[in-house]
Amino acid sequence: MISESASAISRRIAAVPARTSTETWQAIVDLLTEAGSEAHQELTAITSIAAILISEEYTRDAPIVVKPASGARIRVRTVHGMDAIEAINDETPLYSGGLSEPGWSVSLPCGSDDLDEITTALSGASAITVRDTSEGLSASSAGGTNSGASAAVPVINLSEMGRS
Amino acid sequence: MTTGVHVNLHTYAATHVATGMLRGLRQIIRGTGLDPAYLRDRWDVLERGIAAWLRSRHLQGLILEVYDPGRRTGDDLVGRFDFKIDYGYHADGDGDLWLDSDAVAFAIRKNGSYPSQCDYLVVADTSPGRPDVTGWSTTTLRSTTGFTRQSIGTAMTGGSLGASLAYYTRSA
Repeated sequence: MISESASAISRRIAAVPARTSTETWQAIVDLLTEAGSEAHQELTAITSIAAILISEEYTRDAPIVVKPASGARIRVRTVHGMDAIEAINDETPLYSGGLSEPGWSVSLPCGSDDLDEITTALSGASAITVRDTSEGLSASSAGGTNSGASAAVPVINLSEMGRS
Repeated sequence: MTTGVHVNLHTYAATHVATGMLRGLRQIIRGTGLDPAYLRDRWDVLERGIAAWLRSRHLQGLILEVYDPGRRTGDDLVGRFDFKIDYGYHADGDGDLWLDSDAVAFAIRKNGSYPSQCDYLVVADTSPGRPDVTGWSTTTLRSTTGFTRQSIGTAMTGGSLGASLAYYTRSA
């Protein structure tokens, strides 16, 4: 169940097939942050993890909940299938400044089957948490599960990735 | 579960199939007991390449090559899953965006699990002239001599695109 709050801003972002899951997360990061900002870097660092959640369409069924340091909470949902093709021309920018100040947090929705893996993968990103979509969401709950304490950028070893 | 959406544009179909095949690979990796971290950590690079080469029509197939790092090179292939691309699956080019996760689940069930020490590579089989995508390098596929190819059938479609799924098991 989802309870909408009067102090929340909602946005819809077109996902697959209008964008790949990775492109969709990039669009969300661009919506919320300014290029080059600390928040932009932190959210970009988890692109692969967030893209998996988008590809599984958890972000269609439940919102990404963004809590800026001040101001209204932002809820972002993704739109998939034919609706995405129409939605990409109807995306509304944010006028509130998004995550321009330190102290923000982001809660990502996740299905129970993927929760343990994604929670572990996000353990280095203290401002970004994941929550089980089956547990619902109230107007006051933007938190989730995160076992980490400090921000970190995932290290990717591409040496074994192949192309023939 | 089967989902479908009508579409007739190649770019949208390519995007749908690119993300769909990665979802399928993730389902296979998790379902056969492999470590999902390799795929998870490289998802953005993989998706960029697969989508680019589907859009440019250079991608011929996407291969999950499973190997045992404890075995001698040349004899270390343990199994393989292949998505093979058919750019003319729907001749009129207006096939639905369709993804059959049950077909992938069936392939996993028929293949069984891999031993815990196994590792894997994701390999894109491309035709000459492909555009370069950052993060990818060239490789040579391991020989499938001694393996039997089992075809599952079409796992996803979109526009004129179709992607069929097959897996290899050791036969000798």
